[in-house]
Amino acid sequence: MDDLGFILLSYVAALGSTAALAWWVVRRGRALARQVPDEDKSWT
Amino acid sequence: MAITHTQTTGPTPTGVTARPGTGTTATRWLGIATIVLFALLLLLGLVTSPADVVQGESVRILYIHVGTVWVAYLAFIVTAVSSAAYLWKRTRSLTWDRVAGASAEIGVLYMGVTLLSGSLWGRLSWGTFWVWDARVTTTAFMFITYIGYLAVRGLGGSHDQRARRSGVVALLAVVEIPLVHFSVKMWRSVHQDASVAGRTTDVTLDGQMLFALLLGTVAFTAMYVWYVLHRQRVLAMEDAIDDRGLDQALLERRNEAI
Repeated sequence: MDDLGFILLSYVAALGSTAALAWWVVRRGRALARQVPDEDKSWT
Repeated sequence: MAITHTQTTGPTPTGVTARPGTGTTATRWLGIATIVLFALLLLLGLVTSPADVVQGESVRILYIHVGTVWVAYLAFIVTAVSSAAYLWKRTRSLTWDRVAGASAEIGVLYMGVTLLSGSLWGRLSWGTFWVWDARVTTTAFMFITYIGYLAVRGLGGSHDQRARRSGVVALLAVVEIPLVHFSVKMWRSVHQDASVAGRTTDVTLDGQMLFALLLGTVAFTAMYVWYVLHRQRVLAMEDAIDDRGLDQALLERRNEAI
């Protein structure tokens, strides 16, 4: 199927970038939360 | 005011719990639901749904394309509404500004994915990766505009200056959404009009294809909500660290003057 590469690339781009963004924001949140007291974390 | 963020390697400061992060029970469940939705989208979009009579297998790209462009529109509208909420004195709060910034970030990402997936679909359907078509060109213009919006957010200054500047840009930029959406009606365009939700449409979709389209939309929307919740908390902590750094610098300057 000639279209397969194009189809897979679109899925990899969409889901790969989504996963990378999610991973980055979780990592960043954990790193910053170690520096910020709980009074500045309204969600805790 | 220079904003610097460094990861601590020393002991944990006073008042910080041992279980840091931006997650709550609700966002964890939302995250799990989002992963399940994406897994179903992969299964339905790539395996079980049938090929289209006209487009063939390339229709599978549209399950990504429609979901991401929907979220990009949604994100930019939320950015504008949140910016307006900040700029209006009665509701002024930096939380609105952070929601606006977080929303624009994921909107830009998904607008980029929309352009890429549309380009790949165009190569299969139109025989070319790019055409200077009204819809495609205005979409690219909107993508660049919101990259500019994010650049304006990073210009520096106080948090209020950032919020005011970027809020005005957001209110100007959102005008592009109707321009992009109605471009296929206003100008001659090779891009199709709405296939499912259009008033004059006579397209009959296979049940699995329709479900895959809706599933893609729901999955990317769930991801959008999850990201904005986490990211605006990250931005709140960046602002808090920034404020503490400024307070510390002012204290040191006062002590030097004594």
